[in-house]
Amino acid sequence: MDGVSYQRFPKVKIRELKDDYLKFELRDTDASMANALRRVMIAEVPTIAIDLVEIEVNSSVLNDEFIAHRLGLIPLTSERAMSMRFSRDCDACDGDGQCEFCSVEFHLRAKCHSDQTLDVTSKDLYSSDHTVVPVDFADPTGYDSNDQQRGIIIVKLRRGQELRLRAIARKGIGKDHAKWSPAATVTFMYEPEIHINEDLMETLTLEEKQSWVESSPTKVFDIDPNTGQVIVVDAEAYTYDDEVIKKAEAMGKPGLVEIYAKEDSFIFTVESTGAIKASQLVLNAIEILKQKLDAVRLSEDTVEADDQFGELGAHMRGG
Amino acid sequence: MEAKKKSAEDFEPLRQLVRHHIESFDYMVEEGLSEMFDRVKPVIVHDSFTNKRLKISVGNPEIFPPQKEQGSSVFRDALLPFECRQARISYTGKLMADVEFQYLDAGSPVVRERFNFGQFPIMLKSKRCHLRDADPGKLISFKEEAAEMGGYFILNGLERVFRPVILPKQNYPMSMVRNSFRERREGYTDKAVVIRCVRKDQSSVTVKLYYLRNGSARLGFWIQGKEYLLPVGIVLKALVDTNDLEIFNHLTSCYGQKDREKGAVGSPLVSERVKIILAEIREMSLSTRLQCLQHIGEHFQPVMDGLKKESYYAVAESVLRDYVFVHLDDNNDKFNLLIFMVQKLFSLVDHTSVPDNPDSLQNQEILLPGHLITIYLKEKLEDWLQKGRKLLQDEIEKKSQTFDFFSLAHIKKVMEKNPPKQISLAVETMLKTGRLATQTGLDLQQRAGYTVQAERLNYLRFMSFFRSVHRGASFAGLRTTSVRKLLPESWGFLCPVHTPDGEPCGLLNHMTLSCRVSSYYDSQGNIRDFSKIRTSILSVLIGVGMIPSLPKLVKSGPPAVLFVLLDGRVVGAVPSSEVEKVVAHLRRLKVSAASVIPDDLEVGYIPLSMGGAYPGLFLFTTPPRFVRPVRNISLPPQETQTIEQIGPFEQVFMEISCPDGGDGGRSNEFPATHEEIHPTGMLSMVANLTPYSDHNQSPRNMYQCQMAKQTMGFSLQALKNRADQKLYHLQTPQTPIVRTSTYTNYNIDEYATGTNAIVAVLAYTGYDMEDAMILNKSSVDRGMCHGQIYQTETIDLSDEGSKLDRGQKMFRRNKDAKSTHSIIDSDGLPYVGQMIHPGEPYCSTYDKTTNSWKTQSRKGSEPVYVDYVAMDMKNSKNLPQKANIRFRHTRNPVIGDKFSSRHGQKGVCSQLWPDVDMPFNGVTGMRPDLIINPHAFPSRMTIAMLLESVAAKGGSLHGKFMDATPFVNSVKKSNGDFESESKSLVDEFGELLRSCGFNYHGTEVLYSGVYGTELTCEIFIGPVYYQRLRHMVSDKFQVRSTGTTDQITRQPIKGRKRGGGIRFGEMERDAMLAHGAAYLLHDRLHTCSDYHIADICSLCGSMLTTSFIQPQRRAIREIGGLPPARAPKKVTCHACQTSKGMETVAMPYVFRYLAAELAAMNIKMTLQLSNEVGA
Repeated sequence: MDGVSYQRFPKVKIRELKDDYLKFELRDTDASMANALRRVMIAEVPTIAIDLVEIEVNSSVLNDEFIAHRLGLIPLTSERAMSMRFSRDCDACDGDGQCEFCSVEFHLRAKCHSDQTLDVTSKDLYSSDHTVVPVDFADPTGYDSNDQQRGIIIVKLRRGQELRLRAIARKGIGKDHAKWSPAATVTFMYEPEIHINEDLMETLTLEEKQSWVESSPTKVFDIDPNTGQVIVVDAEAYTYDDEVIKKAEAMGKPGLVEIYAKEDSFIFTVESTGAIKASQLVLNAIEILKQKLDAVRLSEDTVEADDQFGELGAHMRGG
Repeated sequence: MEAKKKSAEDFEPLRQLVRHHIESFDYMVEEGLSEMFDRVKPVIVHDSFTNKRLKISVGNPEIFPPQKEQGSSVFRDALLPFECRQARISYTGKLMADVEFQYLDAGSPVVRERFNFGQFPIMLKSKRCHLRDADPGKLISFKEEAAEMGGYFILNGLERVFRPVILPKQNYPMSMVRNSFRERREGYTDKAVVIRCVRKDQSSVTVKLYYLRNGSARLGFWIQGKEYLLPVGIVLKALVDTNDLEIFNHLTSCYGQKDREKGAVGSPLVSERVKIILAEIREMSLSTRLQCLQHIGEHFQPVMDGLKKESYYAVAESVLRDYVFVHLDDNNDKFNLLIFMVQKLFSLVDHTSVPDNPDSLQNQEILLPGHLITIYLKEKLEDWLQKGRKLLQDEIEKKSQTFDFFSLAHIKKVMEKNPPKQISLAVETMLKTGRLATQTGLDLQQRAGYTVQAERLNYLRFMSFFRSVHRGASFAGLRTTSVRKLLPESWGFLCPVHTPDGEPCGLLNHMTLSCRVSSYYDSQGNIRDFSKIRTSILSVLIGVGMIPSLPKLVKSGPPAVLFVLLDGRVVGAVPSSEVEKVVAHLRRLKVSAASVIPDDLEVGYIPLSMGGAYPGLFLFTTPPRFVRPVRNISLPPQETQTIEQIGPFEQVFMEISCPDGGDGGRSNEFPATHEEIHPTGMLSMVANLTPYSDHNQSPRNMYQCQMAKQTMGFSLQALKNRADQKLYHLQTPQTPIVRTSTYTNYNIDEYATGTNAIVAVLAYTGYDMEDAMILNKSSVDRGMCHGQIYQTETIDLSDEGSKLDRGQKMFRRNKDAKSTHSIIDSDGLPYVGQMIHPGEPYCSTYDKTTNSWKTQSRKGSEPVYVDYVAMDMKNSKNLPQKANIRFRHTRNPVIGDKFSSRHGQKGVCSQLWPDVDMPFNGVTGMRPDLIINPHAFPSRMTIAMLLESVAAKGGSLHGKFMDATPFVNSVKKSNGDFESESKSLVDEFGELLRSCGFNYHGTEVLYSGVYGTELTCEIFIGPVYYQRLRHMVSDKFQVRSTGTTDQITRQPIKGRKRGGGIRFGEMERDAMLAHGAAYLLHDRLHTCSDYHIADICSLCGSMLTTSFIQPQRRAIREIGGLPPARAPKKVTCHACQTSKGMETVAMPYVFRYLAAELAAMNIKMTLQLSNEVGA
């Protein structure tokens, strides 16, 4: 075993990039790496979310805990989160919201004076820090031409009802509570490799081909209108549902197509809640993954375990 | 999206469900009471000195809407239901009535005095309720639910519903075979014909006609708790002027010469029996009507109240009037009915007809609140008059100077000694406790259990209270199960699915969605005039060829003619060849809107048969019968109105086709004349909410009905104005994607009961074994299934202590107790929104007389929030004495909480699993909210749950709600709407999924969340509507290491509230023994229980005679600076006067207690101590 290096050099190729959406390929690595990345993105990239609510007046129809819970789930812009401290680690304060290193204070004052229902939304939250504000969902293209794009509704008030509160947002991770998770969805799939047995395929009539192509619920194959050949139009649409293989068997033509999952190639889809940009989310995740590996590498246990694991230990320390 | 404002029409279907409660109460208020007051027997007070007589009677009752107590006497504020709930008072209105006084002989005028009969409970949304015609907007302004539909009472702030009970059908002679009849007297058989006769005021008298072994019959009825039995012959002769020949002809009319012809009910024995009957009375030398009446009067005079001085003739008349066939006024009618009953009895004896089944819905009707209250009130009124008469009589006999028999003021004063207000109070108590306080029993089979508290646990449970029908408390204790059986007769009226399992199974039923109860009101809301209806029916019948029974002609009986009974009165006979036509004609008139025949007339035609049910044409118009709509398809096509209301009595002999099962074994000989409107009409509301319930194994649907009723749902919209003792509330309810048409029609969205959870069916971690389920922690974090319990504590200072120090107590904060100031405000009550930990005080009171402070402390094991504080400011003069404090317990899902789908698939949360470890879909990234084990399906066969999952997936992909009404397939077919290939549901949904790129069967390829590798199987995953059940660990967990013990036995106490333990009982002991776990057993039963070291005298073997000797106080010298050694305990035996043989033995303390108990009865227990093993 000595001398064999497991080191690989993963490559990333970005397919599509928007503020809250990212699609990229990850190649030359294995499932453990891909899944670790996914898990970190969902559960361990820090964001800022409201964690402590002091209610001064609440005469709305929702009770205090309900409102506090709703406030917590509002995504806040968290670019700063990576550089902030966890309030439990903060030595500058006791985490009461006055400390700029670990917390941000919010205020909300709303009272309904008219006969119309007043929507209290995330826009009514006033932040003490302009970098940490509720995420603005207003569509910049103005597609939703409704002018009253007013953010996330917290509660609706009727005449005379009032809501006044102070809230403290803190840094946290999705593992502790889902409100700190920056990812709406992170998923990856193995890149499929599809081989059509052309010889066998040619034994089919056009109708048979058509029905075989249609047996896949997603549009993976199609028939070339000119040549009448079955072609792969979108391999990645394949969901590993084996429908086409079953169909081929049912038609008495097993081996009509062979589909493999590439063990070292993944297609990632990342959707962000808006707290951080999708691209930043991936970078942060990699950063955190590195930190975690560092923690393992530098821990006493690892040094001790060197004797047992030999190569692996060295590998982790960058050797 | 702005929700549409609900109008009154939206809630109309809901209102229909409680209509029978409200209509019965309305009728009572509007007419039933005055009807009843008029029938209350007047009392006559006789002054023996002046020989003047005073007649006292009642009349003209009136019930007023609820009003507040204070305020000027002229104008008082309306008392609204929400105020009653909060102040824990009753929603009652004044009952006023006239008491009429008349001196008889002098021809003096009638003097009417208005009496106040107290505060009468008012049913919500009845005609005396302030909410009666309020639309949703108005209801909200009255601080009620927008969907409020009333039907219940508010008593001491609690909502109580009347629980309707099944009664035998009124005015229908039922043949019965019961062994208990034999025990009446010597010579009785087990056969009888029984009729429950009901007067217009709803009071009833049951009359039984027994068959005797010698061939005669006896008529039995109850007077004051005792049954009186009269020979039929006497009654027949006493009723009308008749002769033996006429009676003979009447009774034998049902026997033709041809014996075994179809439908023959008579036999040659009939004439022999009639001879015996006639011989019986001849022997008693009673031959004329007068003689018979004299005979009856003579025997009944002692038991008839107030007729002591009347003639025998008058007594007999009143016996016949008040106890024999009370639903009929005319003696000729009574005579005819008795003849009919004797014929039916003989037919039963001769086995030419079968007995009627009293457990079958065919022979049953329902007891409604208004009716019970009417008859209960009648008895109370009669009691009150009797008591008043007695008081007056006593006063007269005392010959006191202050009392003048001719002064009405004096008489009134005496009458009021027996307060009239008690009458309404009696009704209130009856509704409060559900118990009838009555001597006579009111001809009812049970005395308790008439009302239940309407728990607002969730809307379905609340609703079910109004649709429930109980078979009767007396059947609950019965060993036999025949009464609980589901009989085909109840098809369409009682739901076969919605009955609890366990002890009330089959006894507590629920009415189906389409089932109604016929009422005194017609569809226009006018009170029906039954006498008018009967005359018009009669004229219709005569028009189609009925021979009326009244000019008595030569009689013939079945099978030549069929007798027609209209509400228990023999009105005539129809030739049996004509009957079918008559029935069809009646049905046509019934359906047509223009006719005077009511639309819910029951045309019970029992055809001639060989030894079947006794034939006849039985017509019923009176409430309260069950009715349900079916479509009449035998009407001529030009008829627009085809919906006919049918009852359970007629249904049995009707041909109704159901769009499900072909012709149901019906041959061409009997074509279907009617058709079910929709097969779901056989299900109750709750059963109707189960999606695709026709695909489930039937018991699962029953389980769902129970679980739907213990779900935490959106309990109330007017939560702010409620002071219920306990309310469960789901924070974020959702509307189900897959729903039945009932869900939409009845606006269940207003009170949704669950969450659409993404459910994956797989065995993932092992934490989903045996009906456990894994919840996604992130889903719970985001608010799935969050809930609260609202709990109200009422503190009433005037309750405690004697009347003397009333008003001496007040809510105040103790200035010196600074530690409570953060919780308790200066008014002695907690701050709203404050969190209170267990053991902390939340309310402080001050007692002026003792100058002492008292605080109330929270019990329980979890912190609560103060939701709401309210004070009762009713007595503005005094300081407030009553406060409601509502607490809020947060109940978010934790391990051990119970959840269930809508298919009887319940499970307990075993883990809150991290989101990242859940399996995920590679394409959509979706992680399930909930994982259940596939083993939940094969044995339970809840296919509908799988269908729901697939349908909901398809529905959510296409953004539409899915209709899951059961039996839709069969209905579609019957409409002639053939789909080219009959598509199964699965195919329908498969196409939906496929068109969105999903697997046809609802499965998906998932990746392990832990490893990122593909799971070997495709996983069935989709949204399923999940309910959170109210059983939560936080209310149930029980822990104890050490704690309080019982004083006598020194064993740990039981009870969760007191920190007790769970009994390690005999069976648990057996298990330990079987394992040979002796040490563990010893630990449980001894060391952790009542471990005790006893001193025993080995000389005498006693453990009770030992005692400690106090070591003498002597100066202990310190030896070498060491602390003094503890003096060894000195124990001596009193009996032996020595401490020589003292030994210590470990034993359970109860053993010592046993020894002491035995000693108390002079038994000595001796222990022999030995060190040898096995000695």
